[in-house]
Amino acid sequence: MKILGIDTATEILNLAIINNGKLVVDYKVQKEGKTHSAIILPTLKCILNLTGIELKNLDGIAVSIGPGSFTGLRIGLATAKGLAFSLSLPIVGINSLDCCALTRRVLPGILCPMIKARGEEYYFALYGNNKNSGNLDILRTYQCQKWLKIKEELLKFKETIYVFGPGVEDIIKNEKNSHSCGVDNIYFISEEKNYANALTIALMGEKKILENQSDDISNLIPFYINKSAAERP
Amino acid sequence: MKETIILGIETSCDETSVALVKKGKQILSNIIASQMDIHQQYGGIVPEIASRKHMEFILITCQEALQKAEVTLKDIDGVAVCYGPGLKGSLLVGLSFGKAVAFALDKPLIGINHIEGHIYANFLNNQKIQTPFISLIISGGHTSLILVKEIGQYQLIGKTRDDAAGEILDKVAKHLGLGYPGGPIIEELAKTGKGDAIHFPRPLLNSNDFDFSFSGLKTAVLYFLGEKKERNELININDLCASLQQAIIDTIKNKTLSCAIKYNISNIVLGGGVAANASLRRALREAARKVGISVYYPPKELCTDNAAMIACAGYYKFKRGITDSFDLEVFTE
Repeated sequence: MKILGIDTATEILNLAIINNGKLVVDYKVQKEGKTHSAIILPTLKCILNLTGIELKNLDGIAVSIGPGSFTGLRIGLATAKGLAFSLSLPIVGINSLDCCALTRRVLPGILCPMIKARGEEYYFALYGNNKNSGNLDILRTYQCQKWLKIKEELLKFKETIYVFGPGVEDIIKNEKNSHSCGVDNIYFISEEKNYANALTIALMGEKKILENQSDDISNLIPFYINKSAAERP
Repeated sequence: MKETIILGIETSCDETSVALVKKGKQILSNIIASQMDIHQQYGGIVPEIASRKHMEFILITCQEALQKAEVTLKDIDGVAVCYGPGLKGSLLVGLSFGKAVAFALDKPLIGINHIEGHIYANFLNNQKIQTPFISLIISGGHTSLILVKEIGQYQLIGKTRDDAAGEILDKVAKHLGLGYPGGPIIEELAKTGKGDAIHFPRPLLNSNDFDFSFSGLKTAVLYFLGEKKERNELININDLCASLQQAIIDTIKNKTLSCAIKYNISNIVLGGGVAANASLRRALREAARKVGISVYYPPKELCTDNAAMIACAGYYKFKRGITDSFDLEVFTE
C-alpha cells in the first residue's frame, strides 16, 4: 500500500511516500518568498520521477490538518482534496499535535508537544502512555495558550513531563535555562530545526486507511483551534 | 470532434464558485457559494473568515457543478483558475485545489486574471462582440478601463488611484448602517430619490488622463453627513443615495466615453458587480448611442464574481495553446 504524506503546517514543505509501512522518500523544501502552493506540485512531480511511482499507483493521501499556519494548512488540504477527489483516493487528516506526540512516544512520562501559534501563544496538548492499550491517551485536550498558562497547567502534575515540538525552542530561550524551567519534573527536548513530519503523517494515515477510518473528503477542514481575530472577543 | 469543456474556479474574494463551460459560451453549470451573510455582520469582508469558508466550500461546490452539468472529471479538457488579483488566502484555496485537479487528471492548467474574467463574462450566452473594444471593469475591488485590441491583448488605459467605485458604495452603506454589500442597497434606495438633490464632487472629471479617484467623493459624503448630524438636521436617505449614485455614474460615463472617443473605438464592454447597476447601464448606453458607440454588458448574475467567466476566459487561452506551469503563484494586486 502506497501512501502520500503531506505536511504544510510549518514554513517547511514536506512530502513523503511510504510503501507498506516502509519509507520510500521523505523530501523537504523551503523556498524564500514562495508559498507552498507554488512548490508543492513541482515537488510532488519530482519525487514521483525520483521513485518511479505513478500517481495512479497511490492508495491514499494523508495530510496534516493542524494546528499550524492557517494558510499553510489550507494549501496542503486544498491540494490533498484536489488530488484525492480526482484520483478517487481515500484521504486522512492528521492532527499535527498527535503526530508530534507520536514521534516521542517512547519517553517514560507525560508528553507535551508544542507548536508555535501567533503572538506569544502555543498550541499544545498533554498525552500519557496507556500501558494496557499501548496507545497515547489525551490527558489535556488541544488548546492555545501563552507559555506561562501552559506552565501553570504542567505544574499540577507530579509525573515527569517532556516538552518538545517545533515551538519548544522559543520557550527554552525564554526560560534562559536550556533543559528545564527550574522545576525537577519538567524537561525540554530540543527539536530538529526544520521540523516537519510528512513521514509520520503518512504512517498514521496508512494505519487509519487499513482500519477503514479514512475521512469524509467533503467535510474535512483544518483544525485551527483559534477562531479568526475578527471573531475573538 | 468533441467540444471543449473547461472547468473554471473562482475564489478571489467572498464567493466560492466552480463552473463548467462548453466551447467558451455554453454554461453547463455555474455554482456560486456566497458568504455574504457571514461577512454582513462585520460590515465588510474578513479575509481569514473568507479563506476558511472557501476551504469548506471548494470541494462540494465542485461536486455540485459536475453533477449539475452532468459531466465527469474525465470529460474536462482543462482547468482554468483565477490566480489574482484578490485576497491572498482566498485565492490560494482555489488555486491549490485547481492545480491539484489539473495535475491529477494530467490536463492543462490555465491561470486567469480576475479582471480578464470579468471581460469574458460578456462572451457567455453567445453574445457576439467585435474587437477592438474598451472594457470598463467596475466592482468593489476594481475600477479600470482596458483597451482590448484583440482577444488576449490588453492595455490598461486608466484605473482608480484610490478606492474602487463599489468600495465607496460599501463604505457609505456601512457608515449609514444599511448593510453589505452597499451597491444593491444604495441602488434600491436611490430609485425614489433625486439625483440632483445634493451636489457631490465628480473627482478627476476634467483630468487629462483616464484615471479615477473616488476617495474624495467618499470624504464629501461623510462630511455632509457629519455636518447634518451636528446641526441636528434630518437627511433624506433616498436623495443622498441617488445623489451619490449620480456622482459615480457621471464620472464613469464621462471618462469611459471620452476614452472610447480618444482611441476611436466604437464598442464598450462592461463587467464587475457595479456593472449590474441598472441606472449606470442605462445612462452609459443612452449617452453612447448619441455618439454612435455600442455598450454591452453581461446579465446581472454574471456581473458579480463567478467561475463561468473564468472558464470562458480559460477557453480562449486554451484554444491559443496558452497554459501555465504548476508553480503558478497568486498575486494580490
